[in-house]
Amino acid sequence: MKTLKKKIESSFDNIKVNIADKTMVILIDKNSIVSILSFLKNMGYQHLALISCVDLIKEKQFEIVYILSAYMENDQEFTGKETRNIIIKTRITRDKPNFMTVMDIFENAEPYEREIHELFGINFQGHPRLTPLFLELEYKTPPFRKDFDTRKFVNKFFEDIPAVD
Amino acid sequence: MRELELYFGPQHLGMVGNFSITLKVEGDRIKKADANPGYLHRGFEKLMECRTWMQNFPLVCRINVVEPDHIELIYAMGVEKLSGIEVPLRGKFIRSIYCELARVGSHLFGLWAYSNMLGFDTVAQWAMYHRDLVLDLFEELTGARVYHIYLRPGGVRRDFPQGFEDKMIHTLHSIGGKVPDYNATFFENRLFEKRAKGVGTLTRENAVKWGAVGHAMRATGMQYDIRKIEPYAAYDQVEWDVPTRQDGDAYSRLLAIRDEMIESVHMIFKLIDKMPRKGDVCTKTPNPLKWKIPAGDAYVRCESSRGELGLYIVSDGGDKPYRVHFRTPSYSHGLTILEKVLVGESIADVGNIMISLYVVAPEIDR
Repeated sequence: MKTLKKKIESSFDNIKVNIADKTMVILIDKNSIVSILSFLKNMGYQHLALISCVDLIKEKQFEIVYILSAYMENDQEFTGKETRNIIIKTRITRDKPNFMTVMDIFENAEPYEREIHELFGINFQGHPRLTPLFLELEYKTPPFRKDFDTRKFVNKFFEDIPAVD
Repeated sequence: MRELELYFGPQHLGMVGNFSITLKVEGDRIKKADANPGYLHRGFEKLMECRTWMQNFPLVCRINVVEPDHIELIYAMGVEKLSGIEVPLRGKFIRSIYCELARVGSHLFGLWAYSNMLGFDTVAQWAMYHRDLVLDLFEELTGARVYHIYLRPGGVRRDFPQGFEDKMIHTLHSIGGKVPDYNATFFENRLFEKRAKGVGTLTRENAVKWGAVGHAMRATGMQYDIRKIEPYAAYDQVEWDVPTRQDGDAYSRLLAIRDEMIESVHMIFKLIDKMPRKGDVCTKTPNPLKWKIPAGDAYVRCESSRGELGLYIVSDGGDKPYRVHFRTPSYSHGLTILEKVLVGESIADVGNIMISLYVVAPEIDR
């Protein structure tokens, strides 16, 4: 894991790598996300476990989080001692959020990006199918953002429904 | 031949759960499949941001209706990792036993759904009955049958009741005694072999490419199990095997499930033997109403009966989580793999493939 850290630090600029408690955390600029993901995939981290998004409303940014881990290459020489999770974080601005898709590298990124597009309103350029996934209605503010007032929405929504006679 | 659009579910007889697939068919061959989730979206992740750390336990267990226990475990593990709480040894053993029991119960439920789908009603009734015996154990241990809310950060809610181990061994022996019957009527049955062999095949390359986990991965020959890779609870304390199969079709997946169930039962016996007889089951945690967790984020994962279950959890130093995101195994199974594997199969095998991949709708929608 430490050799991997050195390799990453030598091949990318503007990067912070941290290893703590079985996990490697990488902070990287948003433009290098595709290259670092394909780099790590070639290093054997082939399993994209999760793409998540955190709304940092105080800093007016979204944090996009990719979590990678490794399938084993050789079934026999497998020990539980090695660090195997990598968390990659990048930040984009909160107004007019645009980002690029990573579907070319990981095919199972498709539903995750669709979900983030729907719940946070982030536009993934190059994604072939950014259609609604879970929600029935369309919302002015995407519902998982922190400035979406759930209580206000519920009060308004259910008052607008006429009572049944 | 004319191409037709067919809505498979959520009201379809061949569909288990609130899930729908839009199929493009030509004759009875599937040309294209679009998974259509969202019938069970309850917004748990948003709801959890408005509730305190402890209040979230009754919510998380409802994310997966069939096996709530692993979701409880993963949330407890996430909170422990953020706040740095250690679990006492006896608590760890109880957690492992509890999760293995849940795995047996969940696999029996899956066996019910699968055999019912193929028309093996007898096997389905047996599986449901045996699951009920497991639920009886849970009722004695936790007071509830389905949603147990038994785990908590720092350990488990209470110790085993008196004589519980003996009762558990007795129940598991009576389930295990039925394995030859299950084999004769189902697993070695020619009809099952004909329906399941070569159906929904997932090669090793595709499984890696599409992010398969759990028994779907193990059915392609890879010993991928989080309990071995990152041992949590007490899984590193006993010896056990990861059963695998080679072919990657529905048949191998079902056999992998059966072997896993048998291995789980053996593991429970070993865990009971090795468990410390006395000791705390839970570390003391602060007052839940005033509990603040230091800022930070963590990713934890465990092996649920469907595969790798993960949780990305962020705290901003307050008394509520800032963001939680569950990585559920059915998510990539149901939305990526199912869409790709269904192409070229016949309509009659949609439910067959879907249940052999263990797709559960509430886990996808959350």
